Amino acid sequence: MGISDVIPVPVAIDEELEKWTIFGQPVADVWFTTTEKIHQIIEMGPIKNIFNWGRKNSVYFLMQPMGCCGVEMFVFGAAPYDSDRFGCIPRNTPRQTDVMIMSGYITRKYLPVFKNLWEQMPEPKWCIAIGECAISGGPFYDSYNIIQNTADYFPIDVFIPGCPPRPEQFLEGLMQLQEKIKQRKDKRGYY
Amino acid sequence: MTTASEVLSSLQSAFPGAIKDPRVESDARLWATVDPKRIYDVCKYLTDKLNFDHYSGSAGVDWIANNEMEVVEIMASHGAHPVVAMLKVRTPRDNPSIKSLTGLYWNADWYEREIWEMFGINFENHSGLYPLLLSDELMGVWPWRKDFKGYPDLTTGQRAVALPTANGYTEFRIPPTPAEIEAGTVPKERPKYPSFREREEAEIKSDSEMIMHLGPQHAMVPGPFLLDILVEGERVRKGFLDVGYIHKGIEKIMENRTWLQGITYTDRMCYVASLSNNECYCGAVEKILGLEVPERAQYIRVIVEELSRIQSHLIGTGEFLTLIAGVGYAPWQYMIIDREHVISLIESVTGARLTHSFVRFGGVRNDLPDDFAEKCKITLPYIKSRINEFIELFAQDPIYDLRMKDVGVLPAETAKEVGIAGPALRASGVSYDMRVEDPILVYPDLDFKVITGTKGDCADRIDVRLREILESIYIIEQCLDRIPSGPIKPEAKVPKKVPAGEAYYRVEDPRGEMGMYVISDGGDKPYRVKVRGPFYATLQTLPPLLEGVYVADVVAIAGSMDGCPSEADR
Repeated sequence: MGISDVIPVPVAIDEELEKWTIFGQPVADVWFTTTEKIHQIIEMGPIKNIFNWGRKNSVYFLMQPMGCCGVEMFVFGAAPYDSDRFGCIPRNTPRQTDVMIMSGYITRKYLPVFKNLWEQMPEPKWCIAIGECAISGGPFYDSYNIIQNTADYFPIDVFIPGCPPRPEQFLEGLMQLQEKIKQRKDKRGYY
Repeated sequence: MTTASEVLSSLQSAFPGAIKDPRVESDARLWATVDPKRIYDVCKYLTDKLNFDHYSGSAGVDWIANNEMEVVEIMASHGAHPVVAMLKVRTPRDNPSIKSLTGLYWNADWYEREIWEMFGINFENHSGLYPLLLSDELMGVWPWRKDFKGYPDLTTGQRAVALPTANGYTEFRIPPTPAEIEAGTVPKERPKYPSFREREEAEIKSDSEMIMHLGPQHAMVPGPFLLDILVEGERVRKGFLDVGYIHKGIEKIMENRTWLQGITYTDRMCYVASLSNNECYCGAVEKILGLEVPERAQYIRVIVEELSRIQSHLIGTGEFLTLIAGVGYAPWQYMIIDREHVISLIESVTGARLTHSFVRFGGVRNDLPDDFAEKCKITLPYIKSRINEFIELFAQDPIYDLRMKDVGVLPAETAKEVGIAGPALRASGVSYDMRVEDPILVYPDLDFKVITGTKGDCADRIDVRLREILESIYIIEQCLDRIPSGPIKPEAKVPKKVPAGEAYYRVEDPRGEMGMYVISDGGDKPYRVKVRGPFYATLQTLPPLLEGVYVADVVAIAGSMDGCPSEADR
């Protein structure tokens, strides 16, 4: 498709424009293209670094306490430890969040709910597993109702061990996630 | 004052031959085995004639060696006398079935449903034996029976399978593996019942009604639970509760851990008040062991438990204020900042912020640090001034008044009948506090008031909690003045094996009456640990409280209960 098909321009200009390129692609392809194409082009250019910088500094997390670590998550999000300093604000609905903090045991009954919450979150999204229970079942590893292999269900980027970990460890884990996003080494692989 | 032996003689004269193996442990504990045919009449007699108006729960026990199942009914009184009657009913293991007490006590419903789903004991005349804590796929495996084959768990390494449903949603289920089927953990026949969704949809009578889901994910309650309300316009017609989203099977796990390891599990039962859970478990085991706690250790326990109560009430009030304020996080931040001061005090003693495992059999793990009293002298007056400030703030605020006054009113009589616990009960004007009713440690020597409200509305519940913090501070100050020097552990080593026996021990958790029923068969592991959690009792009373209120008040009422679903689910 040439530019003259869309905008009434002289054919000579059209031919001239077809020779132009942007990031190695014909300009015409870039101008009249889909969101997917734009994403591909962003991926190729240095603008991706700006995107990632923005993403890494606004990782809102879902306030969704599920266990002991959930109480530490309260404190992590509140004034004493102030996750806001890192652009990490607690939100109450999955529709507004970027990070799912898996803050406790996942039971057979809660797994479908949790999976639903995860799917309601808009892309790009990341997952942090906090505490022994979320990582491997922890002290409840042999219970009949606890899911152990959470990493099979969710692409977990950062594991924070502890029972429960202190809020400082939450901050450290958050910074690790930001570093991963910056270096494009996160599991989902956004840019 | 009625004592246990008087209750026993009264029972024996009224029901000759029905009471077997009676044991009067102390003035406040009565153990007896009751004829299964007469249990309904015995309980009715206790309630009507002997003031046992508090049905405190029931526990199932599987006596596999005798080929019998047992249900222990725990009967107490709302302050009329301190006797707790533990009435055991035995039924054959092949087809276990006993009479339901739901006709007598409204709150027997959940306790019996739990025993049914965990042990498979049928309750005659129970109107709705539906699963409470377990998901549908685990129904029929009876996981708390001693011959349950799915423990340790066989699901490791399995993936859930996505199953598209008819209404367009996707469900995730873990199908049984061949190994599980071979091991016999998958039941051949499952009980038939309508699902939770079907039950609530059957209540929709007209087109003007609809169901609203609150949860299971809650932003400001430390655990998930599902509260569905059937609304007609702006009014709630009926509430439905579904719990068990974080059911971990702690009672089953504790049967397979040593006595000492069990303490760490009590921490994780209610993580906002783990020290009272520690105390409850250790106290019950000490009772079986016959251990005396040294006086200094008793004072240390009281100090840390009262500190734990302060931080629990602070986080509970903060959660509640955030829930009703909608988007405002300001009151929450205030409470959390104050709570951090208390947490750092507890941390200086126990070394942990939430899960302490501090209380040990016959003592405590370590002594108070040297500068603890000085630290308390700085922190406690600060907390006191802050709490006074909060009380004044709430008393002055007209918007808070409009939102809270006369909302979710629970009269004293109803509160007793439904078996609600803790500050929510005391807000209704019932002076019922385990520290007074069933005194433990050095509480009898200490001077403190039981805080009660007058009306039992949401404002009262918050007010009671805040004033209890002041009372706790007063208790700690007394303890710090009086604490003697001396050992903090018993001189003889605590044995690894606990002699055969049983005990029921009650403490005042920040959320109310918490009891633990511990049975030992003489081994190095408990035979059975039953937890009677206070929030379990409180949560059960939510649906009737919500009937007829405005939708906007639902969150205020549910939030004012200071929830900890983890302790309800265990």
